[in-house]
Amino acid sequence: MNQDERSISRDRMRYIKNSASSRLCYLAILFNVFYFVSICKSDVGVYYYNILIGGVILYNLFFMLAVFLASEGVKNYKRDYSFLLLALGVGQILRFFVIPMHAHSETTVVNGAETLVMRDGQFIRVAIYLAVSAVCLIAAALINLYKCRELSEHQKSLAAQTA
Amino acid sequence: MATLSLQHIDKIYDNNVQAVYDFNLDVKDGELIVLVGPSGCGKSTTLRMVAGLEDISNGKLLLDGRDITQTPAKDRDMAMVFQSYALYGHMTIYENMAFSLTLRKENPNVIHKKVLAAAEVLGLTSQLNKKPAQLSGGQRQRVAMGRSIVRNPKVFLFDEPLSNLDAKLRGATRREILLLHKRLQATMLYVTHDQTEALTLADRIVCMSMGHVQQVGTPLELYDSPNNIFVASFIGLPPMNFFDVKVGEGKLEGKGFSVKLDAEEQKRLAAYKGKEITLGVRPEDIVEGPDIPALVTTNENLGMNTLVHGNITAPDAPAQKIVAKLKGWANYKNGDTVKFSFQRKHFFDKETTNAIRGEG
Repeated sequence: MNQDERSISRDRMRYIKNSASSRLCYLAILFNVFYFVSICKSDVGVYYYNILIGGVILYNLFFMLAVFLASEGVKNYKRDYSFLLLALGVGQILRFFVIPMHAHSETTVVNGAETLVMRDGQFIRVAIYLAVSAVCLIAAALINLYKCRELSEHQKSLAAQTA
Repeated sequence: MATLSLQHIDKIYDNNVQAVYDFNLDVKDGELIVLVGPSGCGKSTTLRMVAGLEDISNGKLLLDGRDITQTPAKDRDMAMVFQSYALYGHMTIYENMAFSLTLRKENPNVIHKKVLAAAEVLGLTSQLNKKPAQLSGGQRQRVAMGRSIVRNPKVFLFDEPLSNLDAKLRGATRREILLLHKRLQATMLYVTHDQTEALTLADRIVCMSMGHVQQVGTPLELYDSPNNIFVASFIGLPPMNFFDVKVGEGKLEGKGFSVKLDAEEQKRLAAYKGKEITLGVRPEDIVEGPDIPALVTTNENLGMNTLVHGNITAPDAPAQKIVAKLKGWANYKNGDTVKFSFQRKHFFDKETTNAIRGEG
């Protein structure tokens, strides 16, 4: 991309919203839902019926609201929302160690038989869901940070030209 | 840009209603043609046939000499601006203007350049991030025009674009369209029922009635030399006055008045001596004078001019209405008698309603 084209691409940002970051946020929400549904539909008796699942439900609600809010922010090149997305992305990675890591190694009694709480297949699936969700959030944040810097520099150069 | 040729075009709907009869017109490159006429005269139908939104029943449509009669609308390289703007409410002005090019999958940087250039021409640069609902009617219409400009079409088609605007905004937007035409030098077809728009915008006017072309000519030709009573009454505000008169020896004899004819007028009416014709006089061609007495009914002061409405009365004949546009400020009261003279006269055959232009 030559200098002229780069300049036009930057100028476009004044009128075109940051839909790439915003769409990545929606994707992150979607994969988070896949993760949560996968956990909730597990047929493992009362294993998940504890205070932790209450916290997980609340966190999911907070997560979806926060990511949706951030998606609107990054859509309009608001730089600070990138940090929120980065934090939520790291959070998704950490969540892997909250339920999946424990459930994968534990057993519970279902209908009198001892059963693995999370088999390998489900374990891999939820790991992928969380990983994709985290990658989407971090990518959205980084793209937004880059675009915000580009736009800011462009606006400064425009202001300098006007002055 | 382009030339456009409409040859013997008819529009007949499935229910056998004919909306346009034998329409012929050659539009030169860069010309602004205004189709004018009352509601239902077929002007919008003609425009929609040119755009490809209506099938052409008979005849040919040529763009730059190429027959596009059967070409689908999307391949005609024409852009249409509608009365209702037809903007997408959820998109910004920038997105609205870029939309057609985005659909064509043009390079985003090229789209950007075109949109900014069009916005600059239309004075919309500061509005590009707004939504249509945040703009005034005039600005929205400019966005609609901008959306056409970015496509760089061969022909621009306007279907009563100013009808939704208030009078002040209409005047301003009309001037903008005129400037735009001068700047782009584009071939434009413009439909309106407003004769002021037609007179101020057009290089040539096509005046239509009941699906028939009544006259094609420059605004001055239509104003000064109307082909028939319809054109004479449609062009000009207030409309022309018409009187039934008999051609006498060196004069016209009306009911309750008579008007002298000069040598040139006598020559024009030589074939009608002793016959009845229709005399047409524009309100602005009537002055205070000794010839025609009238009873004033209303007096409208417009500042620069005064519109005096009155009745010419005669025994055994119904009163004939007359409207005069007098210069300056007049203060006639209802019931006052005023005398008028006619400065410039138009003559029409009573049977055919066509203008009488010369001998025979």
